[in-house]
Amino acid sequence: MRSSRVWLVIAALVGATLLALAQQAPSPEEEVARQKKLILEQSGILPGELYAAQGEDLFKKKRGPNNVSLEGCDFGLGAGKTEGAYAELPRYFADTNRVEDLDTRIVTCMVSLQGFKAADIKRSDVVAIAAYVASKSNGRPVKVRLDDVKEVAVYAMGKQLWYTRAGAQDFSCAVCHETNGGKRIRLQRLALVQADKVASHWPAYRFSNDQLWTMEDRIRGCYKQTRVTEPNYYSDAIIALSLYMSVAANGADVDAPGFVR
Amino acid sequence: MRKITLFLLLLGLALAASPMQDRLEQTIKSGGEKFAKDLLTRDEGQAICSQYRDKLPAVQVQGFLDKQRALIKYPADNKLIGDWKEGEKIFTAAARGNCYACHTADPKEAAAGNVGPSLTGYGARGNSDPIVKYTYEKIYNAWAYSPCSTMYRAGVHGILKPEEVANVVAFLIDPASPVNKK
Ligand code: HEC
Ligand code: HEC
Repeated sequence: MRSSRVWLVIAALVGATLLALAQQAPSPEEEVARQKKLILEQSGILPGELYAAQGEDLFKKKRGPNNVSLEGCDFGLGAGKTEGAYAELPRYFADTNRVEDLDTRIVTCMVSLQGFKAADIKRSDVVAIAAYVASKSNGRPVKVRLDDVKEVAVYAMGKQLWYTRAGAQDFSCAVCHETNGGKRIRLQRLALVQADKVASHWPAYRFSNDQLWTMEDRIRGCYKQTRVTEPNYYSDAIIALSLYMSVAANGADVDAPGFVR
Repeated sequence: MRKITLFLLLLGLALAASPMQDRLEQTIKSGGEKFAKDLLTRDEGQAICSQYRDKLPAVQVQGFLDKQRALIKYPADNKLIGDWKEGEKIFTAAARGNCYACHTADPKEAAAGNVGPSLTGYGARGNSDPIVKYTYEKIYNAWAYSPCSTMYRAGVHGILKPEEVANVVAFLIDPASPVNKK
């Protein structure tokens, strides 16, 4: 009897300590929510929406040597149709005979429609346009199919890359985002990329560096932080990983640009 | 007859495996020369862990552990416990050990991850030869004890020299180290 009361007191003390600790350090999720609220209070709009608005301007303006807009670009649902198109990317495109993600498709159209030279295309333009086009799928479920043989093959490559351990720290995407997903590396929560279907909220605004990133930037950032040289933008390697993660996100509603740490 | 079936089976496997490997190599090369170099110069251990997605078939485990063990080098003077203060610097620095990314150690360090087990109070295991040797080898090459572990192989990759590993061992084991202060 006596000892059970002692245990109760101890349990209460431990509980109170844990609570105090939890209050001291907000969880990563709480921190994201707090930052979002703060920015909304201060400026009334989320930075991601500003990027998307800027992207809309770039999209609709007549630009490039051919002086046309991007409104004729086919993102997979037919020329000029952006509503819901991003929810089905990456996908195979017959005109380029290649599986393309959103970023790559934008570059394709800037070259083929507007007449830009690929080397002259500014990355910041592609990012803003990607934010705009992605936002036109908001509220629709991700629906990335593996219909074409090329899609199946690229997906298989993405899966292999996901599990490839490399570099001086022996990391792979799976080590951080599957095996140890949900745990903390330093103070950062490792996303369970597949189970949490995170691809649905990219492109995203990152408040920690005040930048808009597409999935391409995110993948490159993760390679870099594990001391592996980042793969080139618009390369099959990046597209393969992106396709792999997008298929895992099937069914989740697109919410882009997202808001992340 | 059995032999022919086996032969055909192996041939099939070889044919199935090689286009996949070729295609992966092409995909990796699309990422640029430096990316390809980083991904294609994987060592044997990395290649095996990638192939089996970090879950080695039981029959391969012993051979894998033996090969990893053979990669471990020891300090010239064979002293496996060095200076804990030097070890603390290495343990903490992000560009060196970066151990706090995954482990708690000094209870005063709040910015520690929880990917690996807590190392706080590690010294309670004592400083017998087997404990010291295990700790040294684990830090030098984590895969010599658990194949394809999340923990990277600091010594194998030359991130820490043998003497530096010994300093980190001291940080974990020395009774004067903050890891072991009550
Ligand atoms: C050493 C650990 C580590 C490795 C390896 C790693 N990442 Fe990450 N990843 C992180 C961290 C930490 C974050 C969160 C970053 C932040 O908070 O700014 C993250 C974020 C992400 C996100 C966004 C998650 C979300 O919630 O939206 C994606 C997607 C992602 N990583 C993909 C990858 C891919 C693909 C690879 C392999 C090429 C990879 N990561 C390798 C640590 C890692
Ligand atoms: C990316 C994560 C990660 C990093 C970085 C890391 N470790 Fe580990 N460590 C682990 C995991 C996971 C385990 C448990 C699995 C295993 O034994 O490999 C572990 C196990 C250990 C053990 C064995 C613990 C026991 O109870 O026997 C020691 C000792 C250790 N780590 C020390 C270190 C030191 C020192 C460093 C830095 C030089 C370090 N670790 C860096 C993830 C990490």
